[in-house]
Amino acid sequence: MLDELLRAVLDLSEGKALELTKKLVESGEDPLKILDCVRAAADEIGKKFEKGEYFVADLVMAGEILKGISEIVTPKLREAGKKRKAVGKLLIGTVEGDIHDIGKNIVITMAEASGFEVVDLGVDVPPEKFVEAIKQHNPDIVGLSGLLTLAIDSMKKTVDAIKAAGLRDKVKIIIGGGRVDEYVKEYTGADAWASDAATGIRIMIKLMEEKRGG
Amino acid sequence: MTKEPIDLWIERHEKDPEAELKEKTERFLRAAQLKVPDRVPVAGVGGDFLCRYTGITWYDMSYNLEKIPGAVLKFVHDFPSDWSIIFAPMLLEGFVFALAFADYPDFSNTIRFLCGPVHDILKDKWSQWPGREIKEDMHPQFRGGEFMKPEEYGKFIEDPVEFIHDTILPRACPGLGEPGSSRWNAAWIRVGMTMQKIGAFQTQLFGELIKRGNAAFPITNAYTPADVIGDFLRYPTGAMLDMRRTPRDFKAACDALVEHILKVATAVPPAPPATFFFIPLHLNEMLPPKLYGEFYWPQLKKIIEVLVSKGYKGFVFFEGDHSPHVDTILELPKGWGIAWFERPRDFVAVWEKLKGHTTVMGGVPVSLIASGTPKQIDEYIKNLMVKIKPEGGFVLSPGVNELPADTPVANVRAYINAALKYGAY
Repeated sequence: MLDELLRAVLDLSEGKALELTKKLVESGEDPLKILDCVRAAADEIGKKFEKGEYFVADLVMAGEILKGISEIVTPKLREAGKKRKAVGKLLIGTVEGDIHDIGKNIVITMAEASGFEVVDLGVDVPPEKFVEAIKQHNPDIVGLSGLLTLAIDSMKKTVDAIKAAGLRDKVKIIIGGGRVDEYVKEYTGADAWASDAATGIRIMIKLMEEKRGG
Repeated sequence: MTKEPIDLWIERHEKDPEAELKEKTERFLRAAQLKVPDRVPVAGVGGDFLCRYTGITWYDMSYNLEKIPGAVLKFVHDFPSDWSIIFAPMLLEGFVFALAFADYPDFSNTIRFLCGPVHDILKDKWSQWPGREIKEDMHPQFRGGEFMKPEEYGKFIEDPVEFIHDTILPRACPGLGEPGSSRWNAAWIRVGMTMQKIGAFQTQLFGELIKRGNAAFPITNAYTPADVIGDFLRYPTGAMLDMRRTPRDFKAACDALVEHILKVATAVPPAPPATFFFIPLHLNEMLPPKLYGEFYWPQLKKIIEVLVSKGYKGFVFFEGDHSPHVDTILELPKGWGIAWFERPRDFVAVWEKLKGHTTVMGGVPVSLIASGTPKQIDEYIKNLMVKIKPEGGFVLSPGVNELPADTPVANVRAYINAALKYGAY
């Protein structure tokens, strides 16, 4: 039935996926196995997006489905006294001056489905708030999101502030949004860039693998 | 110091603005008609960079009418272009207001954009303004929001205009109060008075811009039905989910909006030599071809076709990477208008598909101007011109006309210089 669930998610059949999840839970399936299925689905969705088979609207739908599944499974996980081991910790926010959050929220949903623990700082986040949050939460990765062109300057200021606070070596920084690219990555001093959530997640998973490997 | 092409162009504006105006108008119109002009037209820039360069804040650009003309006139003097979109005062998406009054062509198009002073009256939740919800030096921002429940599609479809006016506006604009209340009436009277003041200001400013050799064309406004739903009613993610969860309702709502959008657009009659209708696309790149083909393109295509048949020319901004849907543009009548592409993954490929059918605008990544070097910009545009120039029907522009504040002045000059150096046919 787990295979069937994976297929339902990839077909973006919301009703079917949630129904299957309920059935699985009722039949006593290990919640961790269902969450592994969610992770596998997120991975597959990302691949489909990168191949151009999926679009943002598909990620949004898939995200809703994965969130729905997690909501059914998580209480069972808690009941069983189990905990899912996080792949890594992501601290994310839309940078200062920008209040757009659609892209950031898609990243959060997909990152959580992929097994990341996520701390969301919201929108219009000043550099000093990122710095404080890094000290408080000790994330592996910092995600700077932004839609407007002005976000480019704010991303640079945020990276500079992280450097000035002596925290630059402790985190990997990824910038994301419709107007970022290689030029912007160089300019801001970030480690990586992505103009879509799927690529962003893949890069973050790779960064975590490198961290564990190194 | 040796003068660069841009310096000589500035001098020509100073000496004979009338000749410049004539040349630019001709140049831009020829490009819009798929013909070969004397040189590739170069589009202007602005945004945070304009504020930084002229030393005014976004608050000033939005509210301080006395400060705007000096800044705008200095900016277009120092960074000349063949055609530039100038929002002075600053404007944000507000097509929902035009729809609420779609049956009143004498003013529906006038309130198509939101400005700061009108936001102050309506207190709309769609937008945030400097010195109000956000800091004075922050760019005004359209945020959108969810103001309609999925179960309300039925009522919306019955009469979209009345539903927007009676139900959506009170929810989204606390400044209005209840429809028909004295607060409601007073607010709209104030909006009228404000728009009259701003209209007079714009007429004067644009008169001044034209006098200084800047080309301007009459513009009317239209919108894609699915974007009305995404931007103003259900939030973009809500609209995307509705396409899957309640497809019949969503499609019927899009279909129901077409005639009202056309009413707003035709409120400005077409005048020679060209009246453009502007449509910014928002959900386009986010949709897979199946959803685009069912819920987005058919209604947009209908709107474009009707307006073109009535004598208007299109000016459509294809936000994001429109590459997956570019082929559909070929379904439109040849010479329908200008397609401005923000960041297609391969601009030249888009050009190759559309050349001779659609005027293509864009080609320069904003990030290159913002964070490249003048030499990189020069080389990039030189190479682009080699690939694109022979055909005509091309307007050189960044993906969007807004540049970040920290963009080096030398980079913006390099962009204009390169257009002048390599753009001549």
